[in-house]
Amino acid sequence: MKLNKLPFFILISLLVISCSGGGTTGASTVSSMNNVLPITVNGSLCSSNSYPNKPCVSVTVCSPGTSTCQTINDILLDTGASGLRIFKSVLTGVSFTQIPSGSGSLAECVQYADNSADWGPVQTADVILGGEPAVRVPIQIIYSTFGDPSVCATTGITLDTTPEEAGFNGILGVGLFAEDCGSTCTSFAGNGTYYACSGSTCTETTASITDQVQNPVSLLPTDNNGVILQLPSVPFGGAVSVNGTLVLGIGTQSNNTPSGVTMYPASPSTGDFTTIFNSKTYSDSFIDSASNGLFFNAGSISALTTCASGTAADWFCPSSTQSLSATTEGYADSPSGVVSFQIGNASTLFSSSNNVFIELGAPDKSFDWGLPFFLGRSVYVGIENKTSSLGTGPYWAY
Amino acid sequence: MKTRLFPITLLLLGLVLAIFLSAGLVQAALGESAESVESDQKALSAVRRTIKTSTVYTVHEIRTEAMTIREYVAPSGVVFGIAWNGLTHPDLTPLLGSYNSEYKKAARKTKRQPGRRHVQVKTDGVVVEKWGHMRNLQGRAYAPDLIPQGVSIDEIK
Repeated sequence: MKLNKLPFFILISLLVISCSGGGTTGASTVSSMNNVLPITVNGSLCSSNSYPNKPCVSVTVCSPGTSTCQTINDILLDTGASGLRIFKSVLTGVSFTQIPSGSGSLAECVQYADNSADWGPVQTADVILGGEPAVRVPIQIIYSTFGDPSVCATTGITLDTTPEEAGFNGILGVGLFAEDCGSTCTSFAGNGTYYACSGSTCTETTASITDQVQNPVSLLPTDNNGVILQLPSVPFGGAVSVNGTLVLGIGTQSNNTPSGVTMYPASPSTGDFTTIFNSKTYSDSFIDSASNGLFFNAGSISALTTCASGTAADWFCPSSTQSLSATTEGYADSPSGVVSFQIGNASTLFSSSNNVFIELGAPDKSFDWGLPFFLGRSVYVGIENKTSSLGTGPYWAY
Repeated sequence: MKTRLFPITLLLLGLVLAIFLSAGLVQAALGESAESVESDQKALSAVRRTIKTSTVYTVHEIRTEAMTIREYVAPSGVVFGIAWNGLTHPDLTPLLGSYNSEYKKAARKTKRQPGRRHVQVKTDGVVVEKWGHMRNLQGRAYAPDLIPQGVSIDEIK
């Protein structure tokens, strides 16, 4: 994990030079602190044809130990996962170090809840977040034809093949965990996540903690105990785009001191906490900036009808905007706090020219607090086994 | 010719039968007998236990370090629902059995909606749903026609 001092210095110098020429509308404070990354929800950091409520950041990746770097926009900011993943097709001029597995190459299959999956090799890159020093970290290269993709693309699952159809150039997972899989993958080969590939043969394998795809935040020298997502609110009916900030570290610098928030411990194994809504308890609830709506079980609430067809098919389409509330709790039932939210008519919202909506929702089996939850809030993401004045992770605070 | 071919045919038949049986042994599938659950456990080198027995159905749980699969078995002995959670989704091919090809076809036709973290694929015979996130991916599959009377779909979880 250590860089030689000279290339390290060059990297930082390059970064400072490149940052001073940049700047993002509405985020004038960004350049003054090294632990801040601008976020745009459907703004300048996202591709122009982005789907609603998509939070994007920019990440710089470098060939390890060199000053050969590339800055990549349209990286989906994801608090529901850990680790950096980038499409092979967007990488130009940088080359990373393949992590071996036995006599082959380590590869990874990351499945999602929407029947999509990311497949590809695990390689070491130098990753620069904001003005922080580079961290040397295993990342996943999304490469759908690597080795034997069929081990990942099991029945019904479609691999992400291009940024265009996936909707992003990459994903930055800044969730509650330091690695994407954790201890199970160090001891159990049948983990369904890590594979050793030789040529076109890939077999299930274990992967040590340090070989697993890591949350780069957890490797930062000082701002490594979590992040804060700060996004402004939007009026009902939406906004074209909004600018916010991703602050690295919690209580480590003058710009990330916690204030006025409640800390909710999350499950050390799953990252879940509890949401009670409409008299039902969801102990597998979570907070996910990469979910583009509030996804929950409407149960008996008859006003929460869904659209049957069109662009808003399967989204909530109530005839008037519904004001609702739920109680969130730490995974061990305390503390608890009430969260108010609204659900509007997705068909009406999608027919406007706006792209950021606070009242967007759809049915789910659990309670997934997606991007609308982040609008108008500072949401603290506390990484496992790391401590701040709020407590020891994994935790959420807001 | 006839006498010569006969043993070869027999041998071939035997081979086909052996392949068929061994395939059947490692697959506990929706719409099939619960006995296949035991083989599933072996195939996954997993721990199996019965976690619920009511007059209406029995739930068998198969647990590996990475995943838990629950199979809902009707009094007739037929698996009518499967639910799972874990680090990944299970390979649904053995679990869906004869429903596999219709599910595959329908899944391919389901339009991707980036940003959504829930999917439901419906065919004439089977409903497959997935939800959750990294480290806790969840899902269930059920055959609506096989659900015993008086059992709510919400019980398959």
